[in-house]
Amino acid sequence: MTLKKTPNNTSRGHFGYFRDLIAAFKNGDKYVRLSSVAMGTGYIARKQVIKGILVFLVQILFILSMIFFAAPNFAKFGTLGTVEYAYEKVGLNTRINNYDNSFLILLNSIVAIFIIFVFILFWIHNMKAVYELQVRKEHGRPINNFKQDLRSLIEGNFHLTLLTLPTLGVILINILPILILIAIAFTNYGGLEHTPPTHLFTWTWRVKNASGEVVGKVWDNFSTFFSNKNSNFNYAFWRIAGWTLLWAFLATFTCFIGGILLAKLINSDGIKFRRVWRTLFIITIAVPQFVSLILVRNFFRDSGIFNTICSDIGLTKLLYNMHLIPTPDTIPFLTNPKWTKFMIVMINIWVGVPYQMLIATGVLMNIPQSQVESARLDGANNFQIFVHIIMPYFLVVQGPALITDFVRNINNFNVIYLLTQDIYQTHDLKMAAANAKEPDLLVTWLFRLTNENASYNIASVIGIIVFIACATFTLISFAIMMRGNKEEDYR
Amino acid sequence: MEKRRHISVVIKHILLAVLALIWLIPIIWLIVTSFKLDTGISVSKFFPEKWSAHNFVDLFKDTKYTTDGIMKYKIWFKNTFIIAVFTCLISTTFVLMVSYALSFCRFKGRRFIMNISMILNMFPGVLSMVVIYFLMKALDLTQSHIGMIIVYSAGSGLGYLIVKGYMDTISTSIREAAIIDGCSEAGIFFRVVLPLCKPIIVYQVISSFLMPWGDFVFAKLILGTNSSKWTLAIGLYNMLDKSRLNAHFTHFCAGGLLVSIPISILFLIMQKYYVEGITSGSSKE
Amino acid sequence: MAKKFVAVILSAMMVMSCIAACSSDDKDSDSGDSAGSGDAIQDLIDSTDGTVKLTVWASEEDQELTKTLIDGFKAEYPDVSFDITVEACSESTAKDTVLTDISAAADVFAFADDQINELVRAGALLEVTDSYTFNVSEENLAGSVEAATVDGKLYAYPMTADNGYFLYYDSNVYSESDVESLDAMMAAAAADGSKIGMCVSDAWYLYSFFKGAGFDLGLADDGVTNTCNWNEEGGTDVAQAIIDLCTSGTFVNAGDDAGIMTGVNDGVYSAVVSGMWNAQAIEAAYGDGYAATKLPTFTLNGEQVQMSSFSGYKLIGVNAMSAQAGWATLLAEYLTNEQSQVTRFETRGLGPSNINASASDAVQSNPAIAALAAQAAYATPQRVGGNYWAPAASLGSILAAGNPDNTALQTLLDECVAGIEAAVI
Repeated sequence: MTLKKTPNNTSRGHFGYFRDLIAAFKNGDKYVRLSSVAMGTGYIARKQVIKGILVFLVQILFILSMIFFAAPNFAKFGTLGTVEYAYEKVGLNTRINNYDNSFLILLNSIVAIFIIFVFILFWIHNMKAVYELQVRKEHGRPINNFKQDLRSLIEGNFHLTLLTLPTLGVILINILPILILIAIAFTNYGGLEHTPPTHLFTWTWRVKNASGEVVGKVWDNFSTFFSNKNSNFNYAFWRIAGWTLLWAFLATFTCFIGGILLAKLINSDGIKFRRVWRTLFIITIAVPQFVSLILVRNFFRDSGIFNTICSDIGLTKLLYNMHLIPTPDTIPFLTNPKWTKFMIVMINIWVGVPYQMLIATGVLMNIPQSQVESARLDGANNFQIFVHIIMPYFLVVQGPALITDFVRNINNFNVIYLLTQDIYQTHDLKMAAANAKEPDLLVTWLFRLTNENASYNIASVIGIIVFIACATFTLISFAIMMRGNKEEDYR
Repeated sequence: MEKRRHISVVIKHILLAVLALIWLIPIIWLIVTSFKLDTGISVSKFFPEKWSAHNFVDLFKDTKYTTDGIMKYKIWFKNTFIIAVFTCLISTTFVLMVSYALSFCRFKGRRFIMNISMILNMFPGVLSMVVIYFLMKALDLTQSHIGMIIVYSAGSGLGYLIVKGYMDTISTSIREAAIIDGCSEAGIFFRVVLPLCKPIIVYQVISSFLMPWGDFVFAKLILGTNSSKWTLAIGLYNMLDKSRLNAHFTHFCAGGLLVSIPISILFLIMQKYYVEGITSGSSKE
Repeated sequence: MAKKFVAVILSAMMVMSCIAACSSDDKDSDSGDSAGSGDAIQDLIDSTDGTVKLTVWASEEDQELTKTLIDGFKAEYPDVSFDITVEACSESTAKDTVLTDISAAADVFAFADDQINELVRAGALLEVTDSYTFNVSEENLAGSVEAATVDGKLYAYPMTADNGYFLYYDSNVYSESDVESLDAMMAAAAADGSKIGMCVSDAWYLYSFFKGAGFDLGLADDGVTNTCNWNEEGGTDVAQAIIDLCTSGTFVNAGDDAGIMTGVNDGVYSAVVSGMWNAQAIEAAYGDGYAATKLPTFTLNGEQVQMSSFSGYKLIGVNAMSAQAGWATLLAEYLTNEQSQVTRFETRGLGPSNINASASDAVQSNPAIAALAAQAAYATPQRVGGNYWAPAASLGSILAAGNPDNTALQTLLDECVAGIEAAVI
């Protein structure tokens, strides 16, 4: 059993990666060099026949895929297709021409580029491996047979066995879509006349005006948001981005504090039936969100049950007299911009606090009681203990979770969408022109742009911006928080 | 002094009761509305005037609604269940595999994988929804449950954090002892680590099982307009389309209540392990 | 070390990409090469072998009816084996669903006529070049044919001619002279303690005030952007009139259709502005007081102005990418022929667009259809581009809320018109 604990030797770095490759070419014998063209020869020469054949098969597969799959798509990749969909009538039926589908060309080309990229990595690795075999042979060290190779997959190389399938899944569902999304941000894909299969789309720098001159620029889609000061998109984007940040902060913070307070309340001295209380609160989050939120949306309708109750007990009149609502007979819970934002945060507390309460209960049990006791002896009251001991403890323990929560709230699709869809009309006419609504987050706006407007290119830009912002934020805050924090220390 | 303490306990109980009531009002509304006789949404009365269980009966009986595609509750339930079972199997396997590899194995690129997956995990599915649809379509997996299962479970490896956090608390000495006994890496995974991870596996199983019951965005896009393929979430969401609100609000409530009961039970089981998983990481500090 | 890992990725990617490549290849869908001469239908039958697979999208409410009609269609061609699936897709959102992926959309689908421009521009509709079982453009009402026509070409088959709105009221509360004007109605409603409901915050209904006051909204020459003059002189008076109505307490913005029906069912609204689709439900709620008529007048600068409305139609279109275009065409014709329209009126109460069917006594004596006909004199066809809806809905909700921020009305109208007239991206 080889238990090789490879230290994370970063000093080898990127240069080492290519140095080995160069060494393979410099010092390799004819088999190693031949491997660069006919992969697998290096293995066969060292009697690793099965492995050699397998590697060679991969190479043939690669070549075939390049010829039959990549080449036809690459040929059209520059224009993303030129033959537009058309049909002619043949009697009652239609005959459809052999048209180009811009989206499939884009998709297949990116898959092909990805394959090439992976193949290059594979090829480099292959070169190094056959060279290492040569070195091993020269030094008379043992060379694995195929059985031993297989065996290593449940031993020293077990992580390869474990990670292969999940990685493939992530490539399919996460990485490829992101790459395609990035490409779409540089096309005019979207709207009525640039949506395949019936129409073509092309790169932004190939967009022509009516008289056939090229008018597009590379960053056209991005400048919709940034440079063009007068456009409704620019207006809506900054407003929505601002609200998204405010919302993420409010939502994370209120639920965090609320959860701790609720957990403290349930855990405080003299409370009976703690489990029952806890369960009562948890029940509300156990109901699927799309059920509970749609329900709440109808509960707070302008012509809904809660409005009736409010007007029956005179609350509506009172608020009207305080000039908090514009009309005397309804409280516009989910139709007025300010009220809606307020209600969304409140309803999010309703959704989020029980979760946080659960976690806080767990964390509270680990709070060092000695500190609390000594503070109490020093004459600190409950509030001071909460601020100076309990909160800092929570912030340390929950720090990473808070960051994740913050990012999750930036992308909190469900709460916003389910509470405002079909019921909220924007009161800001410039936003309306960009198909945005005041309580929209960037994600819900993006969803509406793709779903109702088919503005795929604009939506991709928003997606990329959100992604970059979130990733940067997370990386930086984790880097700060994790400074000097090695997971090994715990063991 | 004793009296003041007593009063404060009473006040705390009252406060808790009020809060619990606020938290439960919508749920109570859900329950009572699902037993309402007329199908519309009521404006003036919290409790229905006439009670009836017909909403539940409608969900399961073959009525006009069934052929109209508005209420194929049984079919939807079955679809969601099948999708949930497979999603759960694949996701749990993936997550355990990734967690073990990242927690116990030391290999080149481990840090890199962890960083990359943290970034990828930041990417919300809604953003790439349309692309995933066309990707699935290119694979001919739209309008199919297999496609749905792939969408739900293929990327699940990224959600390893909680499980890995739990595995990190398992002492390496147990592992080293097993190695001395001549156990292979795979043997350690199956015979040593997995049995120790039972609580977090329960958490992972339940949470991945619950996922398909709540998603309506991807399901709607991938499964399309054929209502026999839908999951419960799309079906229920569809009942509340603007034009149908008054005809089916109580059906929605009944359906929502029915699906909530098993989910709540699973959730209550899960929350214990959830807390254990989350706080096990923090107790180390 | 990592080579197996890479190898597996690679081979899997290749398998995947091959599948992707293969599935993109089957594009030709022609079947048969029968020339236009002779009996086209017979040629189609002769050239068809195997099962004809078709998908039809109809609204949820029409599922059963559509299935019955399809049985009739199959009986017409006993020698052909059909596999026709009916799926649910609301006519009001058909465009969004179709345009998400035209190649995955149904062969035959129903939609509201305001979507036709966008559907045609997206290339989703097969042009109707010939009629085979009846003359589509001559047997349907001229307005409905016009609604199915874009740039002089017919693109769809008229199905109903009732997609407009008018006034429903409870004759126990309002007399026939009350319903002439909103002022009289509000007085009667106040006396009764009930309210009048209208979806003011819905752009479709908001139009009736401005058009009634003589302002215009229409399509520009490009067929997708709008022209609108609501912000010209006098526009602010209309806006003020709407604010006055909505803050009166008796005339209420119902928000959406669900709000209308909730109010009617709960006895809050004794009169509502709505359309044919709610006829049966409102009749059930108002009982013997059920009545319908044209929209009333509203007060603008002390004068009575008749409210206008959109007149709309529902159409059936054939997917331009249908692999069975021939049979889809015949099915679309069948679903909209005179007999089918009569059946549709009898089972669902929807007003026919077929001239003969709409002339029948049963149709003419239906109060809702009579009200729609009375309103027709003040209605205009619904030809607006997609950018109308969101800004106008916002304007409506601001006005209905009583202009809470006290923005100058002229500013509101200017911004709204700018949004309505904005270029389509």
